[in-house]
Amino acid sequence: MKPLVRIRGVSKFYPRVHRPRERLRAFASLMAGSRIREGAEVLHDVSLEVTAGQSFGIIGENGAGKSTLLKILTGVISPSRGSVEVNARIAALLELGAGFQPEFSGIDNVRMKSALLGMSASHLDAHMDEILAFADIGDYVYEPVKHYSSGMVVRLGFAVVAASDPQLLITDEVLAVGDEAFQKKCIRWIESFLDRGNTLLMVSHSMYLVQKLCRQALWLHDGRMREIGDVFPVTQSYLAYSEERTSAERRHRREQSGDSGLYRIKDFALPDQEGERDLVIGFGGDLRAELVLHSPDGQPPVALFGVMRADGTPVYGVASDFDEIEAEKLDQNHFRFRICFDQLPLLPGSYSLRGHAMDSQGIRLCDTAELRFSVAGESREMGMIRLPHSWNGQE
Amino acid sequence: MLTNNVFRQLVSRAIRTDYLENLTGFAWLILQPLVLLAVYAFVFTTIFTARVPDSGAGGFVPYLAVAFWPWTAFSEAVLRSSNCVSANAALIGKVAFPSELLPLSAVTATFLMNLAGYLAVLVVLQLLGTPIHWLGVIPALPVLLLLYLFANGLALFFSALQVFIRDVSQILPPLMTFWFFTTPILYSSSLLPEQFATLMKFNPMSWYVERLRDFLLLGNYDLSPYDAVVPVLTVIVFWAALRFFRKFSAHFEDFL
Repeated sequence: MKPLVRIRGVSKFYPRVHRPRERLRAFASLMAGSRIREGAEVLHDVSLEVTAGQSFGIIGENGAGKSTLLKILTGVISPSRGSVEVNARIAALLELGAGFQPEFSGIDNVRMKSALLGMSASHLDAHMDEILAFADIGDYVYEPVKHYSSGMVVRLGFAVVAASDPQLLITDEVLAVGDEAFQKKCIRWIESFLDRGNTLLMVSHSMYLVQKLCRQALWLHDGRMREIGDVFPVTQSYLAYSEERTSAERRHRREQSGDSGLYRIKDFALPDQEGERDLVIGFGGDLRAELVLHSPDGQPPVALFGVMRADGTPVYGVASDFDEIEAEKLDQNHFRFRICFDQLPLLPGSYSLRGHAMDSQGIRLCDTAELRFSVAGESREMGMIRLPHSWNGQE
Repeated sequence: MLTNNVFRQLVSRAIRTDYLENLTGFAWLILQPLVLLAVYAFVFTTIFTARVPDSGAGGFVPYLAVAFWPWTAFSEAVLRSSNCVSANAALIGKVAFPSELLPLSAVTATFLMNLAGYLAVLVVLQLLGTPIHWLGVIPALPVLLLLYLFANGLALFFSALQVFIRDVSQILPPLMTFWFFTTPILYSSSLLPEQFATLMKFNPMSWYVERLRDFLLLGNYDLSPYDAVVPVLTVIVFWAALRFFRKFSAHFEDFL
């Protein structure tokens, strides 16, 4: 099957053109057909093939070249080297209100945007009601777009894109702007869009969204491809990478704060973890954790464990004093807690487990450490945990 | 057709922002050229008592008016569109569409508006007693169409160049003023000394205004083989400018 999009060895180089003299020199090089030397390369040798029905997440830090890659895919900019081949009707939602002119009313901008997306006037007329219903911004459509909130701009933009019936949808980090209800509406729309056999390419910093909507992922790092493949391994190594960076920062912070914290975490580990990679447990498996706390005065501290989804939503938390558990005393100043969550009901996805050190009364929180883990498996269930259930009164 | 629809949207947008957003709206469009014509009539017939030898039956004011509006359409179109690419940087960096539609739509909007004014002026001249040769409208239309093509060519060239060399928007207005005075609009080339009159033949704009006067004021429809030079030149200019624009439009985003 012919791929919808195929890019080969694409690099993008931006010449430095801030000062008039630099512009002139760059223009002269263009006229002469020679290479421009001064500038910055934001993408280096990226190759990607997207076939119909795939859903690709593009992840990476700020400035990794994700948006540039999307712009090249949509044909907004042309690559400095390499080839781009597109065989699909593309609709792109690149930036907040791209192609919207603030002086014009929402309706006028819908007309313009739909024309830019290749919709005919009659197609637009047939879908106008649908667009307005999806955007759901009421009489604001008759107001100039400059009076809109950013959420309203995204609503209108997404509504037009949804009506244009694309084969390939390309979105940048735009959905994050809308409110919760609208985000959900968009995600539902994208899910049904994918179910109809269409293709998605999205950039997002939310690993949760990427894992939810995409089956493949590409990790861009400093303009180069770092990893490409199935969504779970790629997002996990990306999360591990950024976790490493933040924990390096955190270690640094703790060293700075010195010993002033009373109760500290000496060691926090998941015993089932192998090597450097994040722990992966099967759905319904057991999650074991071990926390060693340091107590300066020999008083037994209280341990608190919390499970969170990768985006920080708390799932469950429990402290050792709730369950009236005594710590294992290792020596004068060190106490160990071991916990096991049996048959974890968490649905597949990325999570983290936090361990906290609290004082002996369980009042003050003194120290925190975090470990990531993920639950493997495939499930179409929604939410975070599986609730025990039965249908139609059957056992 | 995608480009077609985008082009229509861009033209209607340009017309609305540039011409119809003010209170008087469409009335102003007809009124403005008439008021301007009245001012010129006063200055040149009452203050300067200007005379031109081949002005036809109506005197100086119709002589000026018939050439002045096509010139205004032309120069306004070129000036307006010269910065249209950088003015629409937001569109170019974010949406994929053929960017040559930007100068083309700006020129089209300006021509449509000014032509409406031109028609109004011709009708008023007729009502005030100047015999307009309405049959001349038929040969005048292709001339105006060529003028439109010429304006598009220059607009494509300057709007692309302006992305790389910002000074274009500063250089162009005085250049157009210079061009205005070196074109026989306020005067007749027959008033010039021999060597200047020959020089003027190299100005394509003199061919345009003189043909329009011939057709509409004098009812002189004679053409010689030399009259093919400017149309051919116009087509070449447009074609070369379009190629220039397309060659460099791939690099616009880097420079905006």
